[in-house]
Amino acid sequence: GQTQKMNLFQSITSALDNALAKDPTAVVFGEDVAFGGVFRCTVGLRDKYGKDRVFNTPLCEQGIVGFGIGIAVTGATAIAEIQFADYIFPAFDQIVNEAAKYRYRSGDLFNCGNLTIRAPWGCVGHGALYHSQSPEAFFAHCPGIKVVIPRSPLQAKGLLLSCIEDKNPCIFFEPKILYRAAVEQVPVEPYNIPLSQAEVLQTGSDVTMVAWGTQVHVIKEVAAMAQEKLGVSCEVIDLRTILPWDTETVCKSVAKTGRLLISHEAPLTGGFASEISSTVQEECFLNLEAPITRVCGYDTPFPHIFEPFYIPDKWKCYDALRKMINY
Amino acid sequence: PPAVGAAYAIKRADANRAVVCYFGEGAASEGDAHAGFNFAATLECPIVFFCRNNGYAISTPTAEQYRGDGIAARGPGYGLLSIRVDGNDVFAVYNATREARRRAVAENQPFLIEAMTYRIGHHSTSDDSSAYRSVDEVNYWDKQDHPISRLRLYLGRRGWWDEQQEQAWRKSSRKMVLEAFEQAEREPKPPPHLLFSDVYLEMPPRLRRQQEELERHLETYGEHYPLQQFQK
Repeated sequence: GQTQKMNLFQSITSALDNALAKDPTAVVFGEDVAFGGVFRCTVGLRDKYGKDRVFNTPLCEQGIVGFGIGIAVTGATAIAEIQFADYIFPAFDQIVNEAAKYRYRSGDLFNCGNLTIRAPWGCVGHGALYHSQSPEAFFAHCPGIKVVIPRSPLQAKGLLLSCIEDKNPCIFFEPKILYRAAVEQVPVEPYNIPLSQAEVLQTGSDVTMVAWGTQVHVIKEVAAMAQEKLGVSCEVIDLRTILPWDTETVCKSVAKTGRLLISHEAPLTGGFASEISSTVQEECFLNLEAPITRVCGYDTPFPHIFEPFYIPDKWKCYDALRKMINY
Repeated sequence: PPAVGAAYAIKRADANRAVVCYFGEGAASEGDAHAGFNFAATLECPIVFFCRNNGYAISTPTAEQYRGDGIAARGPGYGLLSIRVDGNDVFAVYNATREARRRAVAENQPFLIEAMTYRIGHHSTSDDSSAYRSVDEVNYWDKQDHPISRLRLYLGRRGWWDEQQEQAWRKSSRKMVLEAFEQAEREPKPPPHLLFSDVYLEMPPRLRRQQEELERHLETYGEHYPLQQFQK
């Protein structure tokens, strides 16, 4: 259908607009969403849908998520915003002990599947300790919720709409560095991109590279570098859904290439790459030509001025890939 | 809550000191605030809670932050002696704080001060507050009820300050600040290996290996990093 040039935050607005239009029970809430949000994701929505549907809450993440759970339990659609993923931790108990366990503990008598939590995520150049975090690994350890991370405006709208419509509580992390920087032609009408399906962006035969969010663009560039400088053919995969993750697509790829590189900004130890690595070596042990490589943030809090040295940039990824090829 | 813990330890150490904990009216909505107030009261801690109520938490006005009578009115609910002061009156704030501190130390109990003021500036450099409030509103506070202006008038009326001193002081302050900025901007940033420091008191072996890995990486790929801005 008709498309429009949208950046990432506009594609989010478009998804929310579609959701609010289609579903009269849907409400959008969080800190500062009424005037449009600190990243402009909710601009225009309050005027269009009314102050009872798009509203500010007091400054309290545990309240925002708990309140959202309650709305969802009644069957209405709750779209909660946490202002930065770094601030999601006060809501951790609500997410892990309430939202994730709601269906299970009641034997499917009750659920909060109509809850979606959105939060800006990842490094932004100057975010430092508390405006740069990628906390997906904390939530990957929590059965009962879904965790989704888009790499682009087109992906974001489709994935967010799928999260909103999914009958399980979902966390949707939005790469804040891409809010203005990423621009694409995005359909104005609603559309869905399936959850728990990774996407192969580029097929290759020598190495599989897996990432999500902003880092997908880094490994795409590394794939081009590898082809040019080393004559190495890379298969590039955007995982898209962290939980439940698409083991089949990744394992099928590694069975073919024999080599796997996983990269994320979040710290190495206990990062989600460890789960992928562990599963792949179980499923593809005999296919592996080299140890699985992880190129991640260091085991430190996210630094301020040292950010350029901390992040798993293309040079670190390229170097790791080179070593893996030469193993 | 950490402020309260510190106060408790200070009490036990017989240090004759108190803790002062500053927060905004927005932060007072967090669950942690409830925990802090309640612990301070039940554990009898020498702490002064000082709430800066400036009317906004980013774009959220107080009407959307709470419906009760501000933050001061919550204090008695916890057993905290509480007072509301004009936050733009330097002497009111000073006197309330001094007395609260004196009593917190003497009586080992917490106090709550709510200072009413107005946020003239934007929330941060990423904020343009004209998106959610009128310029007229901001100008009113800037012109009619500004703590520094009020003190200035007070000093002027007593002959302790005048326009000439004001201009001279502004000029020399500006010079001092700009020179400090320029001096600081000329300084190279600390060396990148400090990225790994202070995660723990002692550096775990795995982290040291990461530090060495970065060092090796920079030897080969250093040209792609802004090393010239940093000390070696």
